[in-house]
Formats: sequence, structure tokens, C-alpha cells
Amino acid sequence: MSKKKSSNIRREVDFTLLMATIVLVFIGIIMVFSASWPEALQKYNDGYRFLKRQLFAAGIGLLGLFICMNINYKRYRRYALLIFVFSLFLGLMVFSPLGYEAKGARRWIDLGFISFMPSDTIKIGAIIYLANFLDNKKKAISSFFQGTVPAFIIIALACGVIFIQNDLSTAVTLAATLLIMFFIGGMNLLNIPLILGAGGAFLFAATRGEKGAFRLERIAVFRDPFQDKLGFGWQAVQSLYALGSGGLFGLGLGKSKQKFFYIPESYNDFILSIIGEELGFLGIFIVCFIFVILIWRGIQIAIHTEDSFGRYLAAGITILIAIQSIIHLAVVTSSMPTTGITLPFVSYGGTSLMVYMSAVGILLNISRHANFDRS
Amino acid sequence: MKKTKFSAKKRISFVFVIILMTVFSLVIRLGYLQIVRGEELKKGAIEQWTKGIEIKSKRGIIYDRKGQKLALSISASTVWANPGDIKNKEAKKTAEEIARVLEIDQNEIYEKLTKDTRTERIKQWITREEALELRELNLPGIQIVDDNRRYYPYENFASYILGFTDIDNIGLYGIEKTYNDYLAGTSGKWIKTTDAPGRQLPFDGEKIYDPADGLSVVLTLDETIQHFAEEAAEQAYLENNAKNVSVIVMEPKTGDILAMVNKPDYNPNDPRTPLDDEKKKQWEALPIEELQEEWFDYWRNFAINDIYEPGSTFKLITAAAALEENKIRPETNFYCSGTLGDIAGGPIKCPRAHHDQTFVEAMNNSCNIALVNAGRGLGKSLFHKYLRAFGFGERTNIALNGEQRGIIPNSVENIKDINLATMSYGYTVAITPIQLITAVSSFGNGGNLMEPRLVKELVNEDGIVKEKFDPLVKRKVVSEKTASEMLMIMENVVSEGTGSNAYLPGFRVGGKTGTAQKIVDGRYSKGKYIASFVALAPADDPELAILVVIDEPGGGQYYGGTIAAPVARTILEDSLKYLEVEPQFTEEEKEDINEIITVPDLRNMKIGEAGKLLSDLGLRYTTEYVQVTDDSIVVNQYPEPYTELGKRSIIDIYLKQNEETEAKIPYLVGKTKEEAIETLETMNLSYELIGEGEVVNQNPLPGEVINEGTKIMVEFEVRE
Repeated sequence: MSKKKSSNIRREVDFTLLMATIVLVFIGIIMVFSASWPEALQKYNDGYRFLKRQLFAAGIGLLGLFICMNINYKRYRRYALLIFVFSLFLGLMVFSPLGYEAKGARRWIDLGFISFMPSDTIKIGAIIYLANFLDNKKKAISSFFQGTVPAFIIIALACGVIFIQNDLSTAVTLAATLLIMFFIGGMNLLNIPLILGAGGAFLFAATRGEKGAFRLERIAVFRDPFQDKLGFGWQAVQSLYALGSGGLFGLGLGKSKQKFFYIPESYNDFILSIIGEELGFLGIFIVCFIFVILIWRGIQIAIHTEDSFGRYLAAGITILIAIQSIIHLAVVTSSMPTTGITLPFVSYGGTSLMVYMSAVGILLNISRHANFDRS
Repeated sequence: MKKTKFSAKKRISFVFVIILMTVFSLVIRLGYLQIVRGEELKKGAIEQWTKGIEIKSKRGIIYDRKGQKLALSISASTVWANPGDIKNKEAKKTAEEIARVLEIDQNEIYEKLTKDTRTERIKQWITREEALELRELNLPGIQIVDDNRRYYPYENFASYILGFTDIDNIGLYGIEKTYNDYLAGTSGKWIKTTDAPGRQLPFDGEKIYDPADGLSVVLTLDETIQHFAEEAAEQAYLENNAKNVSVIVMEPKTGDILAMVNKPDYNPNDPRTPLDDEKKKQWEALPIEELQEEWFDYWRNFAINDIYEPGSTFKLITAAAALEENKIRPETNFYCSGTLGDIAGGPIKCPRAHHDQTFVEAMNNSCNIALVNAGRGLGKSLFHKYLRAFGFGERTNIALNGEQRGIIPNSVENIKDINLATMSYGYTVAITPIQLITAVSSFGNGGNLMEPRLVKELVNEDGIVKEKFDPLVKRKVVSEKTASEMLMIMENVVSEGTGSNAYLPGFRVGGKTGTAQKIVDGRYSKGKYIASFVALAPADDPELAILVVIDEPGGGQYYGGTIAAPVARTILEDSLKYLEVEPQFTEEEKEDINEIITVPDLRNMKIGEAGKLLSDLGLRYTTEYVQVTDDSIVVNQYPEPYTELGKRSIIDIYLKQNEETEAKIPYLVGKTKEEAIETLETMNLSYELIGEGEVVNQNPLPGEVINEGTKIMVEFEVRE
């Protein structure tokens, strides 16, 4: 380990990253409020229901961000395994009596005073543990038995727990993130055919049989969602309608019509459609731009951190945010099959917001140790 | 170690570049969707946001000429169910409640309530009380919706003029159909922006385009005269056990239809249920296709949709043409020996030899031979010209649907000598009742042929006239002089001749009787007749024209003068009094009323003897047979022997008829190709078929006696 003097001095955090995060959370709160209003009024007779919950989560998230910002990330190393195991344990808790089912999937845990989605914590837990693993293995990472096999076991464990909650898209998101981390951490490039082969086999298995045919049909619809407008294509079509009617400048804040039950739960998996409808192409462009800034800062932090654990951790968190955002954008523009993926910081969802803000807190702490210009 | 670090940084940068490229391409796609395809997608979005709800316009009223409402729209309620909103447990109870209130079958309702549909109509047009009771019950998933229902307050009254509408208030028959566009108005639209389940959005709410209510139609019909006609026609229908009775009353000077009746008729409030109980039972057993056929038959307006051979009433047309062309004068002498044998195709016969007679007397006697001679005097070309001039073979353009043209020879060349002869007394032509009354009305209008007018004007809801239809003179057919001569002749027929049953003391009725044998399967059928009477009154200045047609009377009597003329008289008497036409009695009339004569028993006498006996007593008689000789035997008479009658009353004499043996050209018009061929084959005739569809023309014309070897040309045309 090459510890420089500077790493012990409390430096300023990356201000740009902090600002970008706060702006995104702020946009998210406003847009969740706008998008959720009809459903909140209809179902709960309280138009502010989702706003209040999102504000609460943002408050906790901000607290988490400041706490994590001030915890030296290096401490996570010692507890990496514990954190990972604990997060997996939480993930399995959904099958205990504490877990409960909502919207057709068993993904939540109710602790009485608060309920949350453990899959979000697994993401961070897995990233911390994999970063630690990569840092520990160093050069040995390129060997098959020392590197590839254990890395794949870690990835399989983390994604498997999410997968059995019937949350394929989150599992795939995390798998992609962890694989890219593995790649950055020195993966032997000869593994690429192996990964592609495994992915291909998985795809082949998933599209066989009766259930597979059903999946294939759903997948095929995204090419031309209008052919099945009232069936599988419904959400994609409605999202395109929202974007189309938004045009360049949008219908104006609060003026979305698609949020009136045309797009179900638009404040969640289709928040970007509503942004596109109300704020237009310019609105989405600005949101994307802020994400790019955030990712850029995360990448900068990763590159300029001399400590490899810190680097892998920073890269992992950044890539997780990037992949999830890209999938959301791709779904909303019907560039890939419709799947339920929220937009980090922006979509409604307490656990996700708190976890992501805390994760940015970790990134910010790493940035204190990074060696770059913080203008 | 240094190497790993270096490679890690490179790999991070590589990943970053991939991320940037992905984001960039997605933003490009986003721009394509939002800006390039924006308008197209927006259109789809707007389509699903907006829902147009039709606001129905109010249908106009149909008034008679005096402003009586004959058809109007009243608000009525319809019961709808949303099966999705009714829990299965409750369905039974709900069905029970509805069945109790509406008094309909409970199981039927239950079936509808448990269907997998969005909405089901339970019952249309319930009463106000039923609606009130159902609303109070407040059953979940059951809605009572107000809408408009067409209502005909006089029920089966002028049904064939008014017609009726379907459940969506679109006219299907009669004025309701022909004036549907005016009556219906234009419906408005209520466009609202809604959420996915169809609820209105809190903003960009709604746009309303008001409906334009329909115009009201003012008919030329007079509700009172129509009532007189309805009553008289109904009575004639029942008394004569007829197949059909049709009455038209027209104002000669304007062509206005004052009344038009067909019996049996239907109730436009419920046009698919016959008024006759026996028929109702029969229909219940019919499959839907046959039932529809029955309906279409039931809704036929005999007065304009059906054609018939008029018989003697048509002699008026021959007479008017011959007078106009100066081929005869009223006082011209005609001799009738009873038979006219010099025409190829068969001898023409009169019921008896009328011997020497003036033309006026010939008309009184309804002498076939005199009229044949008058027709021959005219010649084929002129006769044909007048047929067309009087409007036969063309539509009168009355404002009702399905009017028939009738059949007349389509060119002079097609008229054979025998045709000319038979047409002169009303055979081998086919006309509609409306054509005949329109033609005869011209005598009451100085020779001007009018277009029958049924609609006077269109008014809006404030009574302001939006469109006016003035009486329309089609053409002058005969001179005023001829017209007044015709009136004189017709008055004579009633005062001296066969039309005496229409004699109305004080009102100078002029008329002409007609009794035509119907052609069934190509032969003049012995038992089936069409009795008719056409009249104008008062003869010096006609206010009314009337035509009574009794189709297939089944009561034993079938002379136009016996059964149709009294109907005309009743209607004329009521109507002339209603119109406040002053009666003017002549001295003779005052006398006649007091002189009583006992009717002798004429049965088993020869017609010649019977006729002489009656003339000596001061009575008159009628008999209308196509082929009768002086030796024909009287088999029956009406009134019965020993009845006491006023002087100059008329006695109907029924004769023993000779069996008919000759084959005559069958009546083919309206038949399909198969039917025509079958008829011709069974009669062993040679023929030539031209075209496809239904028979529209044939040559020779029906009713002619055929020379062996004559080919029958039959023209077909596909009906529009």
C-alpha cells in the first residue's frame, strides 16, 4: 500500500458530485410529486402522500450521505465480509414472516416502524465485498481458480438472492455492475468468451418452454410496441406517447396527462417519461447531463484514488448508478424490453433513495482521499 | 503492482467511454422520439385522451296542416346494467327487484347481469313510475338513463304517411324516412379529456359543440279528414272482409294530400306487432327471416307501393283524351250491341247491349264498347300520349319512399289493337292509386296536373318557417273546357248511372266506379276483384277528390259502385260538412227523398228483362262483368227483394258467369326470372327473356288473349 501523507489530512469533498446529487434528488422530489398526484389522490385520498414519503426518505438519505461522507471508507474493508453476509441475510429475510408481498412480488421487509427493499442494500454490500476481494487478490485475480471462480461465486450469490425474489432486472443490473468491477480489477480477458458463453446459455435457457415463449413475446414487442398496443406493448406505447407529446419544451410542469393512469406507477419505473412529457426533451437532456456529470466525477474519483480498494469501491458505486440510469433511459425510450427499473435519486422509493445517497456519501468520502483538483 | 494500477485506470476510462457513448446514443434516440416523431406520437396520445360524447339533437315534430301533433319526441327512460359492477351474490337479488318493478322475466335479467360485458340494456323506454321506483331502489350497477322516444299519440293513424323510426330515432318508413335529415337535425359533441379509465381530467377539461335540433314537418294532411277516412276505411275493411282497403283524399286545386289510409295498418309506436290477434299468434311461431318478410309486407303502403289494374275508373282517362282531341263530344252517339267482334285478339263485350246512347249515357252505363270506340277514335299514338300526360308509367314524386311507376306500354309500337281496346276501359295497364287520383284531380283543377303534395313547410322550434313547398303544377293535360265536361260526365255517373251510391243530396258529387277482376296466375280470376270508386265534389267547383280502393272483397259483394262508392260518400259527407261547404238541394232532390219504391225479386230473370223492369219502376242498376250477354241470368241482387228504397236508387245485380277458357297473357311484372319462366312454362307459352333481375316490362301486355305462336318478350332489370 502506498499511503501518501495527504490521505490522512481531511480534504474537501468533491463539491460537484455533491451538488449534482442534491440537484437530482431535488428534481426527483418535484417530479415524484407531480407524477404521483393523480394516483395519490385516487387511491389514498391524499395528493401529497408520495411527496411526504419521498421528502422523508430524502431527509434520511441526506443524513446517511453526511454520515458516510465522514466515515473513512477504509473501515469497510475490515467489515466487508460481515456487511456482505448481513446484506444477503436481509435479502433472504423477505421469505421470513417479516417479509411481505406487494405488487405481485415478495421483495419487502417490514420491521414494524419501517419497511424496506433489501435488494438495494445487497447491491452496496456486494460492491464493498467485491472491491475488497479484488484488492486482496491483486495479481492473482487473473488466474482462473484464484480469481475467476471466487469472483463468480460472489457475483452468483449476490445476484442469486435477488433473482429468487423474482427480480430479474435488478439481478442483471447488479451482475453487470459486478462483472465490470471484476473487469476493472484485473480480470483475465480470456474470461470474456466464458462470460458471453454463460450469458448466452442463460438466455437460451430462459427462452425455452412455455414460459420462455411468453418471455420472447414480451421481449419482441419493444421493437414495435404499437403492434400490441393494448397488451404487452401498453407501457412502452404510453411512454412514447408521453415523450412525443412533451416534444422539445414539454407541456409544462404538472401538465402531464399520461400520469393519469395511462402509465401505471409513472413515479417509479417511468419517471423519465413524465419528465419528458412535462419538461420536454430539454428537461430530460438536463437530467441526463447531470447524471453524466455525476458519473464523470465518480470515474474521476476512482481514477485518482491511489488506494485500490477505494478505487474499486468508487468505480463500483459509479458504475451501478450509470448502468441503472442507462437501463431506465433505454426502457423509457423503448430501446430495450420493458422492465421495472427505477431511476436512481429521481424515482420514488425510500430504500433506493437512502441507499444511493449513502453510497454517494461513500464516494464523497473516497474523494477526500483522491488526488485531484477540486474546483 | 504498478502494472495492475495502470491497467485499472485504463480499464476505468474504457468503461467510462462506453458509458458516455451509450448515454449519447440514447439521448439521440430520445431526441428522435421527442422532436422528429413528436407530432405523430402526440396525435396518438391526444386520440386516447379525448373522448367524444354525442349530444343528441331533438327530433322535429310532425304536424298536420292545422298544427296537430302527429309524431313527437317524449323523454323516456332506459334501464342499463354494468355487469362488472354487480357482485355475483347480489345479481340474483338485483334481478328479482328489477323483474318485480318492470314485470319482465327474472331469469332473462339475471342472465344479462352475469354476462361478461361492459353494459347491457335491460329494458328500453320504461314508464315514468317504473323509472321513479327503480331510482329509489338505487341498485348498484343499474342505471336509468333518460333519452328521447318517438311517440305517435294517435297510434294506428296515418301510419303509412308518418312511418316510424328505429330505436335510435332514425326514420325507417314514411315521412320519418323521407324527411329524416330535416327531422333529425345535427347532433352535437361533447369532447372531454379523460384519464385512462375515462374520468374527466382536472385541467384542459372539455369542449362542447351544441347540437342543432331537427326541423318540424308540417304536412298537408288534415287530421280530421284523416280520421273520417280512417273510420270509413276500417268499416269497409271489416264489412267486406277485404284483403286491403285504401283511401286517398286530395285537394284538386293544390294536389295536397288531405288523407291517406290503408287498412289493415300498424301502430307506428310498435310497428313490429300486428294489431290483429290472429296474425300476432301466427307471427310468434315464425323464424326471423320469414318474420322480416311479413314485416316488409305489413309496412307496404298500398296507395303508392302497389300497382293494380284499375278497370272502369280508367274510362275517365280515355274520355278526357277523346274529348280534348275533339274525337267525340258528350252528346256523340254510340251504339252498343253487347259485343264488338272486329278486333284481333278477341271480342269485347258489355254486360248487356246498351243500344243507342250518348257518350254521357255510355259513361253512366260504364259501357265498354263505347269507350273502346272512343279509344279507337283517338288512335294508339294519341292514346299513349295522354297516358303519359296524365302521369301513368311515371312516379308522381310524392314524398314517400318506394313509389311504383306502374306499367304502360313503353312505346306506341308495342300497342296492339287489342291493347288499345282493353286499355280504353282500364285493363292491361297497371297503375298506383296515387297516380289515378292525381290524374282525376286535374279535372277539378282546370286540366292542370299537380304533383301530390304531402309536406307544406318545415318550421323550427319557434314556429318560424324555414322552407316552404308550394303547390306544383306539373303540366296542363287537358283544357278547362274538357275538364268541366269531365266534371259534368262524372256528376252524371253519380246522379244517373253506376255511381249512384255516392249520391249525396245537396252536394254535387261526380265520380266513376270500377270493378276489376284480378289476374291470378295469368288468368282473370273469378273470385278476386278490386272494387274502386273515384270522385270529385262538389262537381261545379271541386274541393275534394277521393279514391277508394277495396282489394279482394270477400263479403259476396264486389262492385265498386256497391261497396266503394258508399265509403266515398261517407267520407265526402263528413269532410264537406267539416269544410263548411254549403249544401244546395235541387227541386228534384227534394221530391225524390219522399218517393218510396219496393225492390222487385229479380233472381233467375234474364238481365235484359230485369233491366227493363227496374227502369220502369224508376230504379237503376249496375252490373260489371267483362263478358256478359243479354241472356245472362241474375243470380243475386242487392238490396234484397222487397226492400223499400227512394226513387232512382241503385240495385246491384250479380250474374251467373260463363267459365273462362282462353289463356291470357300472364301478369309477370315484379317476378324473378325463375318465377316468370315457371309461369310461362306451365301455360305452355313461348317466350324470350331480355336482361337480368326482376320483370319490368312485357310485350304483349298482361290480360291479352294470345294467338298461338306469339312470342312473349319479357324484359328484366335489377331493381335499385
